[in-house]
Amino acid sequence: MLRAILLLLACQLAGEIVHRQTGISLPGAVIGMVLLLCWLALVPRERPTLTVVAAWLTAHLAVMFVPAAVGLIDEGTALSRYGVGLFVATVFSTLLTLVVTALVFRWALDRFAPGDEA
Amino acid sequence: MNEAALLATPLLWLTATVGVFELFDTLSKRFGRHPLCHPVLWSTPTLIAALLATGTSYATYKAATFPLSFLLGPAVVGLAVPIWAERARIRRLAMPIVLALGAGAVTSIVSAVGVLALFGAPREMLATIAPRATTTPVAMAVASQLGGVPALAAVIVLFAGVVGAMVATPLLNLLGVRDYRARGFAVGIAAHGIGAARAFQVDATAGALASLGMALNAVVTAALLSVVALMV
Repeated sequence: MLRAILLLLACQLAGEIVHRQTGISLPGAVIGMVLLLCWLALVPRERPTLTVVAAWLTAHLAVMFVPAAVGLIDEGTALSRYGVGLFVATVFSTLLTLVVTALVFRWALDRFAPGDEA
Repeated sequence: MNEAALLATPLLWLTATVGVFELFDTLSKRFGRHPLCHPVLWSTPTLIAALLATGTSYATYKAATFPLSFLLGPAVVGLAVPIWAERARIRRLAMPIVLALGAGAVTSIVSAVGVLALFGAPREMLATIAPRATTTPVAMAVASQLGGVPALAAVIVLFAGVVGAMVATPLLNLLGVRDYRARGFAVGIAAHGIGAARAFQVDATAGALASLGMALNAVVTAALLSVVALMV
């Protein structure tokens, strides 16, 4: 268990270091995720504990961003000025992204991967 | 210890946050996980009301709940695990995944920023909405990197997830997209974790492709926006 946690933290730390040293503007945690992928590919073996720990973290993502969402308390001005725009842009963008992604995926599926079954 | 001192300990707000969330999570389960019952949607205003009622500043609250928000980092790193587990499928579906991922990520950024710009919003707001299709921790990190507002980004992402989860089934039916791989992947790209949770309710394959779409989109959107940030 501790080893799985260590692996996640070490990747995040390495990601933060890469982020700060190179000035790549990807967030440290995202770089850490790419580094973990590389690690999993370089050192292939069964990792049941890591799977459990990662699944636990992902399953509880929602409660982790409550503190950030509460930060809205300081955003009254921005919300009253741009609230409508943010609402319209978010709804429109979400619907359009759904449609475009689904249609491109289906088209590419027919064209490039006709044999694959779900 | 007197009451004022208790209000100042991290333990109080940490317990309140987990407690309030757990309460709304239980209610959400009772309502069959309907997107409108998402626990964050209800915990956030409840805790804001509690802060206002006790005259607590957000800075105090933020410091107290740091252990909880810190976990977002390792959780994002952990997204590599499901991607790795799906590698065989990713290889088989490489072309559809790459093309749909690219098209979806670009569509999401351009349409969100474009529409908001029509409302005359300043750069700070455009940076806040740009990562709206990624999972929340990534959106917050990317927004703050671009000079946006992380708290607002978190709420926009949450709202996008709710919208996507609610409309995906009827909208994709209307378009005649029946393939669960295409449907799941699209929901994951457009509506991240909330969309993926909804996809799992409909179909296991759709759920797996949705999680994959969410994780890949987090990397691709963050990378695209980093490049954009370097150029402007």
